[in-house]
Amino acid sequence: MTVIAVAGKGGTGKTLVSALLVNFISENTTSVLAVDADPDSNLPEALGVADEVRKTLGEIRELFQVSRDEMGTMNKEQWLEGKIYAEAICECPRYDLLVMGRPEGEGCYCFANSLLRGVLKRLMRHYEYIVIDTEAGLEHFSRKTIDSADYIIIVTDMSRKGLATARRIKELAKELKLNFREIYLVANRITSKEAENTIREFAYEEGIEILAVLPYDESVAEVDLRGEPVTAIDKDSEVYKKMKEVSNFILRLPVEAR
Amino acid sequence: MVERKRIEIPEGAKVKESVGEEAEFPFDISPMYEGERIRKGDMYVELGGPSQPGFELVMALPVDQVEDMKVTLIGPDLDEMEEGSTHPYAMVYYIAGEMVETDLEPVIERRNHDFQNYLEGYMHLNQRYDIWIRIGKNAIKKGLNSLIQIAKATMMLYKNELPFIEKIEAVYVTDKDLVDKLLNEVAMPIYEERDARVEALSDEDVDEFYSCTLCQSFAPTNVCVVSPDRPSLCGAITWFDGRAAAKVDPEGPNRAIPKGELLDPIGGEYSGVNDFAKQESGGEYERIKLHSFFEYPHTSCGCFEVIGFYMPEVDGIGWVHRGYAEPAPNGLTFSTMAGQTGGGKQVVGFLGVGIAYFRSKKFIQADGGWYRVVWMPKELKERIAKYIPDDIRDKIATEDDAKTLDELREFLKKVDHPVVKGVVRPVDGQKITNGWVEEEEEEVEEVAEAPAEAAAQPAVAQPAAMQPMQMPAMPGFQLPALQMPAPSAAPAGVKLIIKDAKITIDKVIIKKAEKEKKGGK
Repeated sequence: MTVIAVAGKGGTGKTLVSALLVNFISENTTSVLAVDADPDSNLPEALGVADEVRKTLGEIRELFQVSRDEMGTMNKEQWLEGKIYAEAICECPRYDLLVMGRPEGEGCYCFANSLLRGVLKRLMRHYEYIVIDTEAGLEHFSRKTIDSADYIIIVTDMSRKGLATARRIKELAKELKLNFREIYLVANRITSKEAENTIREFAYEEGIEILAVLPYDESVAEVDLRGEPVTAIDKDSEVYKKMKEVSNFILRLPVEAR
Repeated sequence: MVERKRIEIPEGAKVKESVGEEAEFPFDISPMYEGERIRKGDMYVELGGPSQPGFELVMALPVDQVEDMKVTLIGPDLDEMEEGSTHPYAMVYYIAGEMVETDLEPVIERRNHDFQNYLEGYMHLNQRYDIWIRIGKNAIKKGLNSLIQIAKATMMLYKNELPFIEKIEAVYVTDKDLVDKLLNEVAMPIYEERDARVEALSDEDVDEFYSCTLCQSFAPTNVCVVSPDRPSLCGAITWFDGRAAAKVDPEGPNRAIPKGELLDPIGGEYSGVNDFAKQESGGEYERIKLHSFFEYPHTSCGCFEVIGFYMPEVDGIGWVHRGYAEPAPNGLTFSTMAGQTGGGKQVVGFLGVGIAYFRSKKFIQADGGWYRVVWMPKELKERIAKYIPDDIRDKIATEDDAKTLDELREFLKKVDHPVVKGVVRPVDGQKITNGWVEEEEEEVEEVAEAPAEAAAQPAVAQPAAMQPMQMPAMPGFQLPALQMPAPSAAPAGVKLIIKDAKITIDKVIIKKAEKEKKGGK
């Protein structure tokens, strides 16, 4: 099991990066789980499978909260597991997809989350690759619904804010003791050599390896804007080619059995 | 009790039998395979699940009626099933042994899920009549060709892991008509009977309660004690959940609490619970009574779904749930009261509970149970209406009947709520409150003549000013440090009535409120 968390400031293109990773990695193995852990993002759309998503994990957790009094002696963990396997995991042709959905509402979720952690842990260990599209706050990691990440890919654009967020994610990942092996940077929508240099300097200072510098590409931006799947982007574009290289790099990374 | 007996095999049915242990299996068996999900594309067949009936059932039988390690398969076997097809599926186990009893059936039945998920290439989901199985193509490739192999492996795990099972026999069914028939005629009545037994299960029936410390990060001194008659405050954990969790991880957040000696059968005080509370709260609390509102009540974490609050003005208890944002008749909102009570404190006069506690047969039984309850929001009351005894249900006010203490008093008087004349607690028939003392009783003291407009109103005291005096004689009662709301538009004068004053008051200072000052302090 190799867990790759893709994080970054909103709007930097991390969903594009996540979707392309899922797309390329699943060409090599079908044992891939894509996780949309950012309530603001749209990984299912970017993958072109939005119609297949039935329920989010959050919705199932809410259902659990209102149904639990009627469960009698039923085992609640098994109830949750059954719901998640049947309704939250979406079986796409080459990979599975899990949408985490809304964060919890009012009331106490201690027990629900404690059960969820167990179910997800047992589920996730069976996939070769797990790609998680996560927001900058790394909420699911801090709540331990997802307990670790092997590699963290931070996506940034050329804005100051994008870089500041990248730094914060790095610090947070350390604080949360995610036991990651490496943090990488992908720079996206870079329009000038100057901007690229700034980012390289930043990466050097922070000690983060840059995996790719993606240029601004009108056609990619349009695909993104129209909410079309990333597979629709031009196969000859720099973005496509460079992300394919990134995926190959990931596939070559050492796998450690847990 | 529903009779437990062997399944009758219909005449002419296609039957396959096998007796004895299997030397080896064409699949790995290990807990490592738990959680393995077989995708539709990788699946050879699906048994039960969303499109076909299915169930699993464990029945305890006398030892002479069980043939050890025998499997009977009724209906088509794996090698007769088409790739990608779905089939009905029933797994019935007969078990016997000196220590095997009917009560253990559900516990043993739950393990079918664990054991079958140890089998490589076999996915088992859900429970009872919801089971959903997928067998992977890989498993078939490796040589799995009969459900008898699955049954034998499961039975082997049962006997290894639960050695008190002396004999085990399996009947697997894939014949649709028979699965349907057995589900309706055999399995459902047994499931229903089990559920009914759960409802009837009491604190007295078990030897152990379970703790929950899942939320100690928020409430370090909180000790949730989960008993059959008292689910957790968050509403999520029943005694059965605690037992299941404690079995899996005995040192985890849900641990067994041996009940120990029963010290107070009415309040629900056990020596084992007290010892545990002392230890887990870091010595903060020494006693906990599970079914008492006023005496050593359970601590309140912060996760609780509902908070109960005592209103001395009517000598009754109100309840408000998290979803009700308006102030309760005592002028306080859920969040204000929760803020004062939460964090693992034992605060007399307030009590956090889970909604499921309203179903309990021992619901605050030491303090009169439902007969002491005077108010709850409509939404909450409707949700639990069927658990409220018929003779008190209509006497409990909601926000439609009363929003303030004055309105509540009027309502309770009108419906003749037990608190008005005194509550007799059903558990032992003892009269526990004296009721309100009638107005015609002698007024002990009267200060400050009320002006005309105030006098026209009923002689109901202001909540804040009157509280200490109307406090019923209740040893050990303490009001938490609460900011009482200032009465709106304080009347120019105050009429103060002390009734039936049996309590000792060290000093009473009554001052006429000065005009520029705000009342209530």
